[in-house]
Amino acid sequence: MNEKSTLHPVYLDDAATTRLDPLVADVMCACLSEGGTFANPASMHAAGRASYALVERARRQVADLLHTVSRTLIFTSGATESDNLAIAGAAHFRAHRGRHLITMPTEHKAVIDCFAALERQGFEVTWLKPDRDGLLAVGDLEAAIRTDTQLVSVMHVNNETGVIQDIHAIGECCRRRGVLFHCDAAQSAGKLPIDLSGLPVDLLSLTAHKFYGPKGVGALYLADRPECHIQPLMHGGGQERRLRPGTLAVHQIAGFGAAAAIALERQPDDLTHMRRLNERLWNGIRAVPGIARNGDPGHGFPGILNVSVQGIEGESLMLALAPLCVASGSACNSQSGESSYVLRALGLDDRLAQSAIRFSFGRFTQESDIDAAIARYTAAVSHLRGIMPALTA
Amino acid sequence: MSMEPYNDAVRRLFGNPRHAGDPDASYPAVVTAEVSESDAGFQVLLAAEMDGNEMRRLRFRVFGCPHLIAATEELCSRFEGRLPEALQDVPVAQLMELLEVPVEKTGRMLLLEDAAHSLAAAILAGEPSGALRNRRN
Repeated sequence: MNEKSTLHPVYLDDAATTRLDPLVADVMCACLSEGGTFANPASMHAAGRASYALVERARRQVADLLHTVSRTLIFTSGATESDNLAIAGAAHFRAHRGRHLITMPTEHKAVIDCFAALERQGFEVTWLKPDRDGLLAVGDLEAAIRTDTQLVSVMHVNNETGVIQDIHAIGECCRRRGVLFHCDAAQSAGKLPIDLSGLPVDLLSLTAHKFYGPKGVGALYLADRPECHIQPLMHGGGQERRLRPGTLAVHQIAGFGAAAAIALERQPDDLTHMRRLNERLWNGIRAVPGIARNGDPGHGFPGILNVSVQGIEGESLMLALAPLCVASGSACNSQSGESSYVLRALGLDDRLAQSAIRFSFGRFTQESDIDAAIARYTAAVSHLRGIMPALTA
Repeated sequence: MSMEPYNDAVRRLFGNPRHAGDPDASYPAVVTAEVSESDAGFQVLLAAEMDGNEMRRLRFRVFGCPHLIAATEELCSRFEGRLPEALQDVPVAQLMELLEVPVEKTGRMLLLEDAAHSLAAAILAGEPSGALRNRRN
């Protein structure tokens, strides 16, 4: 542990991004290679029409993954853009009806910062706290909705803890009260079944790179209802129903479509694989003194395991864990040493939140990777127990 | 600008902290000092096994980042076998340079300096253990 590690890195950070599926890479390379489909899909000539056909094929593939129809999807640069377009676009489009919005403090920064910007623009935001397990009580949402509430935004799977919200119940509550419901599904799309033909979700954000597709491309779903119209954030062309102008990135979109098609086919096997890995990892580290699992395991996405350990400082733990590629619950190297706002919202104190490690894995993770993580985590905590003050009861 | 947050000295000291741990419980003359920082919860505990006026062996425990752990290990290596008065002149700037400590972590290095001063004061006052000090950056 004293030398800079030359060991092969073990990648357990699929919640940050996944590697590209080789089959997706083939599809993208076909576009980018000599003779590939490169033309602007908005062009009327033959090459443009070929690109258009490829884009629309990809749109159908993404639509099939979500059990919806193509016309409900617009392509974006990723979930952050989709979140901004959905939230700000809906808030501004409906501002004449009311300026009250609802979300949670455990959302991704793409959502939180968007709502914070809307607050500065004069909108009123209610931040609903989750329970200690990270779940939103639908009764709390029901009570928070007012006559001037226009939008509720709650993520499907939390990116830090893996907690799965009951978006069906949340959506039903919103529908009953005539409020739009946006869901950030960046962590779940392509990994968990999402059936938009039966889910009362109005707006849903997703991105390709969380399920073995390319970075830089995502989509926003808008339910096929007149109430779901939003205001564009950018202007400059008629693409994507005039909601997201700009020349479409054909090779990115083709890769997104391929990733969606593969995900639809492999989802059950991928989920089984992730459940097995999750169980193997937790069983391997659960005996570490002072360890605790963050988030409700009964409502947890199997591709994420988030743990804290008492009496261990987060930044030191991250160094001791090298060459494991995992995510930390602390903002390493910052002056404040600020810990994860998500974990603090669940009631963890700063020290415990700072010690959090998020292991995330998926289709390409091997059992040997998990075994390496177990060995490394156990050794790292043991090393640091020899340095840090003893645990007190 | 390097993307590596820790240089080789930090990695070496952090990975092999020879002075980490508790003093020998059976040793008759042990003086300890503890300093903590209440905002982020950083904590430095120093212990000296005394042989007459000399600190024959130094031990530490730290709740903190790799830079603070490495700095404490380096401090113990440098001051072991010396008189406690030496602890009143901890070369903080030199340690920060050696370990390439980011400037935003200066407060943590000063915490270590406080712990060293506290230990020296306790030894010189003939106390068995140094006063608990809490400090905010």
